Amino acid sequence: MAGQAELNYYILFANYTHGLALQEQLRKEGLPARIAPTPRSIQGELSCGMSLLVKAEYIEAVRQSIVRNQAEYYDIVEMPCQIQPRRNKFC
Amino acid sequence: MIYLDNAATTLYKPPQVADAMMQALQVMGNSSRGTHSSSLNAAHTVYAARVKLAELFGCTRPDHVVFTCNATEALNMAIFGLISRGDHVITTDLEHNSVLRPLYRLVDEQAVDLDFVSADQAGNLNYAEFEKLVRPNTKAIVCTHASNLTGNLTDIAKISDVAAAHGLILIVDGAQTAGTRPINMTELGIDVLCFTGHKGMMGPQGTGGLCLREGLEIRPLKVGGSGVQSYSRVQPPQLPTLLEAGTLNAHGICGLSAAVDYLNAVGLQAIHEKETVLMRRFYEGVKHLPNVTVYGNFCGDRAAIVSLNVGDYDSGVVADVLSEEYDIATRPGAHCAPRMHRALGTEQQGAVRFSFSWFNTEEEIDRAIQVVKELTVC
Repeated sequence: MAGQAELNYYILFANYTHGLALQEQLRKEGLPARIAPTPRSIQGELSCGMSLLVKAEYIEAVRQSIVRNQAEYYDIVEMPCQIQPRRNKFC
Repeated sequence: MIYLDNAATTLYKPPQVADAMMQALQVMGNSSRGTHSSSLNAAHTVYAARVKLAELFGCTRPDHVVFTCNATEALNMAIFGLISRGDHVITTDLEHNSVLRPLYRLVDEQAVDLDFVSADQAGNLNYAEFEKLVRPNTKAIVCTHASNLTGNLTDIAKISDVAAAHGLILIVDGAQTAGTRPINMTELGIDVLCFTGHKGMMGPQGTGGLCLREGLEIRPLKVGGSGVQSYSRVQPPQLPTLLEAGTLNAHGICGLSAAVDYLNAVGLQAIHEKETVLMRRFYEGVKHLPNVTVYGNFCGDRAAIVSLNVGDYDSGVVADVLSEEYDIATRPGAHCAPRMHRALGTEQQGAVRFSFSWFNTEEEIDRAIQVVKELTVC
């Protein structure tokens, strides 16, 4: 199932403040990014428990925005969507 | 009650502050802990407050606004986080114990050398001494923006020039000025601006913080839960997390944020002008009264504080009479400013401090003048 799942992109941060700052910047630019818990499997030791979840179709624009605005972030990790809940709420 | 103890805390707050806090108490989860809606509600509120405070104080980065529970905690963070064993520090006679005691502790425990720029009997700093006191191992200048006893302002731009010329860190105690006048830490060359939320900013007690210049390397005063980087043995190095171990007072910060909205809506310049008018009205009304001694320099711009004594009455007795007989709240005694009292010669008598806020009225000032006049003939 995972092999057929769409990809999500998690932007990881050192802290909430950096994540909220980038979310605000993306919001101003009309780029959708939802705050989500960082999956433990990609969190590592240094990143924060919150991340910005970005759909694949927006990730390149988001990357460009990060570079353009010199936004603080820790990493961007690609991850297949693992769960398909009934209302498609989380993925 | 006529409340004239605003240098201790502003009693009257904009109603938006209480409204915001009441709402926050019912909906806020733990900021920076989790991503459910109530946690994010708190996180967004705290972040918005950082952005507002960065703009208010001319701090270049919102993530360099660090929340504390008051100015004392902010000053402790700055002083213990930036000054090391063997460093030399310059401070002034105007300082509050929130500056003096951390520095004395460094002197006693870390062999830090400490020198004071002296003040004259009007509470004026001898600015030439700053340059003369600089040594090869001088690390920082720590000074208040305004004396909490006399209301005299310090010339931060002048002090900043000395700090910049010698590569010193300038830590400023803005407890008495934040919220009552425009302060731009970048334009003034301030490296660390410490503030409290409950005085001139008209926010709740238990709020305050420090704004840091980008690039400063600071050690955390406390370490612990951060909600992030949980598997790291050490406190996360990124600001503001580096200095914000433990759950923040998000309910209070929400109130402070509402207070900043109010300050911005009214305008800091308007607040400063009104408080100055009230302070000068009081000063003009009492300065020529017989047996009244007023302390400080009233020639130029200053904080909205007038400290005085009536004859040789103990300041505590005068303040007690003001409170019990006339329902006027003031602050007597030493005001946590021992060196300033020594410079003024009021170590034994103390002084009665009248301090004014945006919410005081001219009628209240006139009543206070009348009462002081009555006391002079007792």
